[in-house]
Amino acid sequence: MELTSKLRKFLPRQNTASPHSSKKRNRRLDLDGQEIMTPYGACYVVEKSFPLSEYHGHWALGKAYNNSYACLEKLGQRPPKAFHMQNALFLDTETTGLAGGTGTYAFLVGLGTFTESNFIVKQFLMRDYNEELAMLYLLNKELKSKNTIISFNGKTFDLPLLQTRFTISRLPLEGAKGKDHLDLLHMARRLWRHKLASCSLNSLETHVLGITRHDDIPGFEIPSRYFEFLHTGQGHILKQVLDHNVIDILSMATLSHRLATTAKLKPEECVCPWEAEALAKQAFSTRDYSLSLAYYTAARNHSQNGEQYSRILHSTALIHKRMGQLDDACLLWKKLLEVNENDLLAHEELAKYYEHRLKDLNSAQRVTKHALAIAWSLRSPKASDFEHRLQRIDGKSKGKNHVNA
Amino acid sequence: MSVERVLNIFDNNSRFEKNITFRHTLSAKVGTYAEFPPSLPTKLRELLINKGITQLYSHQEQAFKASKEGNDVVVVTPTASGKTLCYNLPVITTLVEQEEARALYLFPTKALAQDQVAELMSWSEQLGGKLKTYTYDGDTPGNARIAIRSAGSIVVTNPDMLHSGILPHHTKWMRLFENLKYVVIDELHIYRGVFGSHVANVLRRLERVFNFYGSNPQFICTSATIANPQEHGEALLGRPVKIIAENGAPSGKKEIVFYNPPVVNKPLGIRRSSLLEAEAVAHEVIKADLPTIVFTRSRLDTEVLVSYLRKSFHKLGDPETIRAYRGGYLPKQRREIEKSLRVGNVKGVVSTNALELGIDIGSLQAAVLTGYPGTIASTWQQLGRAGRRNETSLAILIANSSPLNQFVIQNPDYFLKQGVEFARINPNNLYILVSHLKCAAFELPFVQGERFGDFVPDEILNYLCEEMILRKVDKRWYWMGENYPATEISLRSASTENFAIIDTTHGQTKVIGEVDRFSAAMLVHEGAIYIHESNQYHIDKLDWERQKAYARQVKVDYYTDANLAVELKVLDVSDRIKSPQVNLNWGEVMVVAKTHMYKKIKFHTHENLGWGNISVPEQEMHTTAYWFSIPQENSVSYERDVLQSALLGIAHLFGNIASLELMCEPSDLGVTAQIRSPFTGEPTVYIYEKYPGGVGFSERLYAAHNNLVERALSILHNCPCPTGCPSCVGPAKK
Repeated sequence: MELTSKLRKFLPRQNTASPHSSKKRNRRLDLDGQEIMTPYGACYVVEKSFPLSEYHGHWALGKAYNNSYACLEKLGQRPPKAFHMQNALFLDTETTGLAGGTGTYAFLVGLGTFTESNFIVKQFLMRDYNEELAMLYLLNKELKSKNTIISFNGKTFDLPLLQTRFTISRLPLEGAKGKDHLDLLHMARRLWRHKLASCSLNSLETHVLGITRHDDIPGFEIPSRYFEFLHTGQGHILKQVLDHNVIDILSMATLSHRLATTAKLKPEECVCPWEAEALAKQAFSTRDYSLSLAYYTAARNHSQNGEQYSRILHSTALIHKRMGQLDDACLLWKKLLEVNENDLLAHEELAKYYEHRLKDLNSAQRVTKHALAIAWSLRSPKASDFEHRLQRIDGKSKGKNHVNA
Repeated sequence: MSVERVLNIFDNNSRFEKNITFRHTLSAKVGTYAEFPPSLPTKLRELLINKGITQLYSHQEQAFKASKEGNDVVVVTPTASGKTLCYNLPVITTLVEQEEARALYLFPTKALAQDQVAELMSWSEQLGGKLKTYTYDGDTPGNARIAIRSAGSIVVTNPDMLHSGILPHHTKWMRLFENLKYVVIDELHIYRGVFGSHVANVLRRLERVFNFYGSNPQFICTSATIANPQEHGEALLGRPVKIIAENGAPSGKKEIVFYNPPVVNKPLGIRRSSLLEAEAVAHEVIKADLPTIVFTRSRLDTEVLVSYLRKSFHKLGDPETIRAYRGGYLPKQRREIEKSLRVGNVKGVVSTNALELGIDIGSLQAAVLTGYPGTIASTWQQLGRAGRRNETSLAILIANSSPLNQFVIQNPDYFLKQGVEFARINPNNLYILVSHLKCAAFELPFVQGERFGDFVPDEILNYLCEEMILRKVDKRWYWMGENYPATEISLRSASTENFAIIDTTHGQTKVIGEVDRFSAAMLVHEGAIYIHESNQYHIDKLDWERQKAYARQVKVDYYTDANLAVELKVLDVSDRIKSPQVNLNWGEVMVVAKTHMYKKIKFHTHENLGWGNISVPEQEMHTTAYWFSIPQENSVSYERDVLQSALLGIAHLFGNIASLELMCEPSDLGVTAQIRSPFTGEPTVYIYEKYPGGVGFSERLYAAHNNLVERALSILHNCPCPTGCPSCVGPAKK
């Protein structure tokens, strides 16, 4: 048997699509872009401009341009000194797959930049695999012109993928070297992880940015759409993908503004318990306990979620403990137990309080015994901790030998 | 107690004595030594002296020299001959001299890799800690992976991980590939058959990748003794190799015993179960305090034997001294067992061939082989697991009733004089090749005219374009898929889809093991008794779609054994010879395998307690086969029943001889007979390969037909049974 016919016979068909749909010489792009020549060949670039007065979601794009961003440090990412949006480059790629690895290509790279009057989105499209080099060349040049990259999950996904593409193309990715990179996903997670079921860009658009997409292509369909385009050469097939990419980039601008605005809220300005809680946590981690306490108070006042409420009480109690205000903390632990008798952490803290602070061994014993019974019934691994504690307290009260544990 | 004393016990006990058919003593051998090579760095020289090594075995020195002269080297020596120095010396010499240099070590199993890393770490300490060695396998935690990629001087991994974890992400391993000076492949002989054909392709992919990064490493390989190391090494690596085969290591005296279980049913020619005999023999040996390993041929046998031995040692007070060790255990369990073996808490282990490879399990003194392992090389490997330099060791081979076993046990010369097997691979098996061309295209686009090993892949690449898996632009083929092809391809079996076995006893859901798709139909069908760590589990439910088997712990006095039924259709004849006596063919066939039913077999008596139905989907496979049919004129005079049992007998016999002729694993081949084949219209016997596409065995059998007939006749003439027994044409049919 001849090789090809053997292959046809033995290897099960993997793709069900017809292999003969490709009409090679009738390619129409019509995507309102232009071909740009590079030393590595041509690449297709689409440029769109949005006036700063244009709204994307609840805010006009100009808001993002005029905001200040040093406060983002509170959300875990520090922008460079004297950062201004003029120097930022929003980056988002569309790829041939999500699996990663060396066979995944970024076929479309969208870049967003601010001028004094407009927000410009430039999209670099490789119309076929042989245009990758030219696309990467142009991308590298654009990256060099700004000092900060802003992305959504780019630290984990887009940049490593581009790094791989550059390595395989034997081009140095100088443009990204020594650049600051603000990943909006990480910051958004801090604020809304507990509030939203998902912190995907789509979910944030709906729940915090006020953006509704019309006629949008779902992300998982994008690779197969690109392959279809490669076969047919019909540009209109990619129209939705390009639009999707533009919206992603616009949403990143809006999201930046929203994050910076939230990060600047004072405790008394907070109306969202989740945001207040996140800011409280941040203040706690910098050991600004009184500020943290203020945020927690705001969070507690607005919270309508039992789980969150308990969490806030715990954190508040912990701050009191750290500040040496153990009696205040004790009230909170008791309050926690009123809400939920099975709260082992609260039991444990109370037992410590009685044992070490008040030296009230009887109460410590009572609390620990009670906690131990609960731990047993819950089959909690904490049971052994309570057993130890109880033994120690028993020992202390018997021999009155005050060994401080 | 010494080996001599144990042999004495056997000789003086008629229960054992009459079954010992052959004894052979391998005398102790003195070593051949060589001075340290002058170019060995002082630091390394000092390190060796500190370890008590003041000179090298001759093969170690030769390997060093050959590799420093720029050769790709294959060292072929038996177990425990100090082969790790053959690669560690040249590699570490280079790493000491060039700080940026890197090496990649490939071991066939994780256990071997971990052993090696422990050893290298101790070297590194004595060399000042600059030599960073890491294992990279499925158990490596995510955060450690980053450090390994950038800083590992020696990356120790297995071919599977190279295939699915490293090559598809080669850009992350740039530092390794740019500076790669050595690739070390241990246990080269393991890479034969289907697995070897896969690995040869993984190495073709590796070569593309390191060429891309501009490096050109040398290969240093080690192998157990095989008949064709040169040919095999070159086929696997795709480059010329220098063979070093003179073993300079000394070895202790070894007593080899062949043991044939007694015939318990003369008319049927049935011998006592080799498993039961192994239990009795192993019991004596372990009782005599010789640290012992018992090899079995299957997981099931391992578990059965462990439970027998534990029970009998329970009476002596210490069942925990016997442990099982097999492939289906989770990694942590295996590490723990290996450790207790090393420190001596465990006196006897029962293992499938997982321990056949060179894992350091300390000083075992006796090996008991339950059944002939299928190849001579493998037998020597298993016999070699027991062996101490200064003491006599003991190795006992217990035969079962199969023709292959009976042939070997009755012809010790075949074993001692014939030499060992050929290792065969077929890297250009279409299925395997196409799979790896996909992976390779994923890793780096193919350029028109580029070779893949010795193969010009353009035609296949064009076909993959038609299938829209690749896209060709400007004389290059690019990967055009969303998925990640390496995850769909397992190097070790035909399917990647493992079934999880879930323990649901007391309402829990805990994964206790895995089996591959093919074994799932045989081992974890509904109603099966699955044995794990000597506990019995009843399989309540097999969810074929979701690849899960739900098990519940039980205590019953039987185990289960599933029957496999095979149908076969000829698709294409590659070559044929017609003659008045017989028509010979080889070609491509479709095999449909189905497990219909299983038997319940009582422990100890092995009587049949009943049976049950199995309902799992059929499994289809395209493969190659060799078949022969008897022309109508010759068969027409026989009655149908007679013809039927004659065909089954021939099939049974030929199936066994075929693996002897090919020197492959008996499990690589399947056999079936049709009294009136729809294809030939004649009574026909088929021997087919059990891997899609085959690895070239069928064509060889076709060419060796006359040899097969001769050997078959010799077995028939020499078999003492009157009307057929399991050792020749199979049990006589009523």
